[in-house]
Amino acid sequence: MSTEAPATMEIETVPSEPKPESNPLPPKPKFEPLKAHEMSDGRVQFRKVSVPPHRYSPLKKYWMDIYTPVYEQMKIDIRMNLKARKVELKTRQDTPDISNLQKCADFVQAFMLGFDVPDAIALLRLDELYVESFEIKDVKTLRGEHLSRAIGRLSGKGGKTKFAIENATKTRIVIADTKIHILGSFANIKIARDSLCSLILGSPAGKVYSKLRQVSARLAERF
Amino acid sequence: MIPSAMASSTETALESLHHIKSTEPPEWLVPKQELSQAVRAASKLLFSSLKPYCPKSPFDQLLTEGFDVEQIWQQIDLQSQPLLSSLRREVKKFEKHPEEISKLKDGGVGGGEKKKKVLEQIETDNVVNDDEDDDDMDMDEDDDDEEEEDEEGEEEEKERGTEEESENEGEEKGGIEDKFLKIKELQEYLEEDEAREFGLKKKKTKAESKKEEEDTEEEGDDDDEEDENEGSEDDDDEAEEEEDELGLFDGNDEEDEDDLENARYEDFFSRKKNKSSKEKAKSRDMLEEDSGSDDEQDVDKRKDGPSKHEKELDKLRSKIEEMEKANLDPKVWTMRGEVTAAQRQKNSALEVDLDFEHNVRPAPVITEEVTASLEDLIKTRISEGLFDDVQKARTSSSKAPREIKELDESKSKKALAEVYEEEFVQKTDPASALLTFSDELKKEASMLFKKLCLKLDALSHFHFTPKPVVEDMSIQTNVPALAMEEIAPMAVSDAAMLAPEEVFSGKGDIKEEAELTKAERKRRRANKKRKFKAEAAKRMGKKA
Repeated sequence: MSTEAPATMEIETVPSEPKPESNPLPPKPKFEPLKAHEMSDGRVQFRKVSVPPHRYSPLKKYWMDIYTPVYEQMKIDIRMNLKARKVELKTRQDTPDISNLQKCADFVQAFMLGFDVPDAIALLRLDELYVESFEIKDVKTLRGEHLSRAIGRLSGKGGKTKFAIENATKTRIVIADTKIHILGSFANIKIARDSLCSLILGSPAGKVYSKLRQVSARLAERF
Repeated sequence: MIPSAMASSTETALESLHHIKSTEPPEWLVPKQELSQAVRAASKLLFSSLKPYCPKSPFDQLLTEGFDVEQIWQQIDLQSQPLLSSLRREVKKFEKHPEEISKLKDGGVGGGEKKKKVLEQIETDNVVNDDEDDDDMDMDEDDDDEEEEDEEGEEEEKERGTEEESENEGEEKGGIEDKFLKIKELQEYLEEDEAREFGLKKKKTKAESKKEEEDTEEEGDDDDEEDENEGSEDDDDEAEEEEDELGLFDGNDEEDEDDLENARYEDFFSRKKNKSSKEKAKSRDMLEEDSGSDDEQDVDKRKDGPSKHEKELDKLRSKIEEMEKANLDPKVWTMRGEVTAAQRQKNSALEVDLDFEHNVRPAPVITEEVTASLEDLIKTRISEGLFDDVQKARTSSSKAPREIKELDESKSKKALAEVYEEEFVQKTDPASALLTFSDELKKEASMLFKKLCLKLDALSHFHFTPKPVVEDMSIQTNVPALAMEEIAPMAVSDAAMLAPEEVFSGKGDIKEEAELTKAERKRRRANKKRKFKAEAAKRMGKKA
């Protein structure tokens, strides 16, 4: 509270003017004094996230799940521009922090990459989560069948290898053809990335498992 | 000394000598002063009479006054010993060079006469007392009770003996003549016998033959005497030698009677070594002589001839021959190097004392002590409880098995956010964590507790009945039963759980490679080939 005090003092004077217009909003929440820097610019900040075609229908399906936390918790205006096929995010007046916008943008981006909404929500809730993406060809140049086999190795039978890695490292992995996206904290991402890379390079799943076991035990011990 | 005194003393001495001779033997038993005096005087006389013949004697006369018996005897001994040896030398000289006797004869006639005179003087006195003397001699030798007298008597007798044996011989000469055989008859018989034996020499006239015989006799005498002397050295007394020699002396004067003189009982009827007829023949030779047997005599001479040096040389030669022979012959098998059984005689190794190393320690001899010591050791060990049992090395199960976190290979039901949420909550508020983990942890806890209770019950209850085991398909491993039922082993048993037939994985009669017959081996190989072919075909089929 004390830390907020000097900032709020300034802000309090300003916020009254700009108001979101169209949507019938729920009764105005009683926000705490808004962050100064958001309002002090005097400008509205945008983020636009393009929607890949294969995420259209999921977006439609999960729109409310996306929208609600963004609008409610993060206080960011979000809308879907169908013509442009983008999701637009805008700050509101009562957006507490400019980082919210970024978080929301990341959240939407994560969804677009292929992560599930509940997994992506973690991005909103935790600061230190990141999404790392890399391609298989970054690790090793594979062509044709080798590539397919590598992808197969990465996923495992019914995705078990992927799940094993996810569970062991507390990350979420999305393998999209030749692109791999990992969502998690920095260290976990590292571990997951190492496992995936070893899988790409050709090591059998068992070996990866044993390594994962050791690592996860170590991780568990830490806490 | 004054000669007159000497002469008178000699007379008195002679008197005393006669006196001694005349005493009856029993009188010697009792010590008498006059007898001893007489004896002393007599011995003095004898001593002085012998003095000229031994130049080296330190005493001029025998000192008797105030001297001990022993001392007197020593004096006599001192004189007589060199005398005897000189005489012996003389005799030997005559043996070797008989011609000197003849020289001596002439010179010795005088000397011999002189001596003879002395001898005869004593002889005449002593003829009668010959027996007495003998008796005396015997008696004195036997008599040990009276020391002085005995010693004196012995001295005297011995003293006399040296001188008087020559006399005796002369007497005995007569004795033979008188008592034994008629010598003439003997001579004739021997001649006849010899003639028969040798068949030749009978024809010679008696005189000539006698002469020759004499000559040869002398030689023969010498030879025979030498033989006899050689032969009878152990028996012999110097006395006998001397008798012969001195007899020879006398024989020089009386040639014809030489042989007769020398014929004694021992000549015919033996001495221990010379019992052979050969000896008799020799004695016959000695008596009659066969001049034709010059060769024999020469041979005899040569046979008897080899001196000591020659004998030694012979011995050496024979030894050398022996050694040379040994060196040239092939060696005895024991001296050869490695000898196998084929190279030596059968069972020859048994006779030789072989020495070889036994590499095997000899079996310990079990004695009472050994067994006793062993038993003591056993008893002490039992009492101490110090058995050298093999300790089983237990695998240390001290480390708790590390909890292996199983990798969940299914899609996690919790969203990532929830995962982190739980994590966060756990970090901040441990209590609330329990609540969230409740079901799982509960289950786990209850499981653990049940296990613990089971163990405790097993340890504490005597009538423990284990929970009925729900029998589902369980894999029986071939593990020692003890390991499975480790709770409260009622009985220790290391019998494996599986029976042998359960362990055995195979069928039928198992045979080793070595046991197979050729046909079986072929069959096995054929089977193997068939299997391989089938598999190969399968694989090909699969691939295609």
